[in-house]
Amino acid sequence: MSRFRSRVVVPYLLMAPALVLLSVFVYVPVIENLRYSLYRWSSLSPTWDFVGFDNYAALLADPLFWRALGNNATYAAVSLIVQVCGGLVLAATLEAGVLRGRLSSFFRISFFIPSILPITVIGLLWTLLYQPSIGLVAQILEAIGVPSLAHAWLGEEATALYAVILVSQWQWTGYIAVLFIVAIRAIPVELYEAASLDGAGKIRQFFAITIPCVREMTLVMASITVFGAVKVFDIIWVMTGGGPNGSSEVLATLMYRSAFRNDVVGYASTIAVVMFCLSLVFGLIQIRLQREQS
Amino acid sequence: MTLVSPTFRRSRSSSAPIVALLLWGLTVFSLYPLIWLVLNSFKTSNEMFDQSWTLPTVWHFENYVTAWNYGLGHYVVNSLFVTSVSVVAIALIGALNAFVLTTMNFPGRRIVYGFLLGGMIMPPEVCLFPLFKILDLFGFYDTYLAMILPYVAFGLPFATFLLRAHMTTIPRELYEAAVVDGGGVLRIFWSIYLPMSRPALAAVGLIMMMRTWNEFIFALTFIESDGLRTLTIGISTFGDALRVDWTVLMAGLIISIVPVFVTFLMLQRQFMGGLTQGAVK
Repeated sequence: MSRFRSRVVVPYLLMAPALVLLSVFVYVPVIENLRYSLYRWSSLSPTWDFVGFDNYAALLADPLFWRALGNNATYAAVSLIVQVCGGLVLAATLEAGVLRGRLSSFFRISFFIPSILPITVIGLLWTLLYQPSIGLVAQILEAIGVPSLAHAWLGEEATALYAVILVSQWQWTGYIAVLFIVAIRAIPVELYEAASLDGAGKIRQFFAITIPCVREMTLVMASITVFGAVKVFDIIWVMTGGGPNGSSEVLATLMYRSAFRNDVVGYASTIAVVMFCLSLVFGLIQIRLQREQS
Repeated sequence: MTLVSPTFRRSRSSSAPIVALLLWGLTVFSLYPLIWLVLNSFKTSNEMFDQSWTLPTVWHFENYVTAWNYGLGHYVVNSLFVTSVSVVAIALIGALNAFVLTTMNFPGRRIVYGFLLGGMIMPPEVCLFPLFKILDLFGFYDTYLAMILPYVAFGLPFATFLLRAHMTTIPRELYEAAVVDGGGVLRIFWSIYLPMSRPALAAVGLIMMMRTWNEFIFALTFIESDGLRTLTIGISTFGDALRVDWTVLMAGLIISIVPVFVTFLMLQRQFMGGLTQGAVK
């Protein structure tokens, strides 16, 4: 009996807080979403109509859903190119040894700083920067003699999404670069020494040594970035709210609006399920890669 | 894991000036928005409209006093409270999980570990509405607990993962010796494993601090009373109220980033080191 106690009861008792918290606040909500998505209901009405997969059919027929999904994809594509590819190049440049150590760490910290700021501060700051009357962007355009290029970047359908995406790149590229820096430092110096004795330049070394050696880190970063792009919400919500006219809508803003503004909860849950499935795929890839790495 | 470059790579080449120039350009892009914010936060609105590029002619420190008096202080207190309670809970419970998972062999261990780790790939955004219903059911909606409990639940997987990775490096003989000495499980945890995990705890603490301090969607959705709002949400209410008084708004934005900023600059090495052990965003 006492053996059973120490082998089974004690571990579970010690982990009970975590198991309960995760069940109630993480896993139950995920499962509840699946159930909610099969009903037509609102938080105000007491009736729940079981509608089977009608919400899913409605979602697939909703042009706004496809537009949002497309915007998520655009966000993911730009982030992959700028944050992952750009971040890798940036990291390799900082680590290439062409700069003095202190300068290189100054750059590293400077590039990292945007990622520690609260999203609402970033949102308000860039809303000010994009302002057509006082904003820095408009003033720069005026200073270089092309004031006619100034736009209400966040207020026009053609530019709103890209204006927000740019802010995200500003915020996260340095962060990704720092993660790459650590991966690069794990590469044995002898590889670079041998290459440079053979007469390979820095660029050649980047392609021949750095890229193959940080391959796994690159894949982890790519899956984190795509995972982030599937669930992106806050930066869009604070800067455009998904507008104007749905032009910067993403899945999460569409879901939020459906649940808390339009009170079509079943429909909102359907969007949540779609987001969940997409992030499950990229999340599992990420966990697998991280396990292999460690 | 060292954060100091090996000396070998520090060989300078002829391309250095060009590389440095490009990097300086990027630094300007990275930091200028913040510098612009700081400079303008000391101006009058009129001055900012006329010339938002230049240094202020007169430094209007009173913008900061005005911003603070709008009630920012209250949001700061809320953020401090919610963040510190959540971070301590995440670190302690996470360490306990990690301890159990590394030292004990019990039926279902792999499943439990998978269950805890799986939380890392559950996006909080997806759980939003059901979570809102659950919190409402328990009567937690619009209380501090409506933020703290979900923060802890969503923070635990990462904390467990990182701390477990660290604890597996603690020699098992220590545990066995302590058991032979008749130390209780909790005692071993408290007096051996917890102190020995200090570096990993610091990393978890820092990352969770940033994450919780900046958290947006739960704080936006589960809190209704202005008196309970955290800084991240409070600042946007503040923004709405001050749409005309731009420079005071800017002073408020600066105030709201100072705590994170100072912590980061003081502890940036530990912070960057910790991030890499479990890449998260």
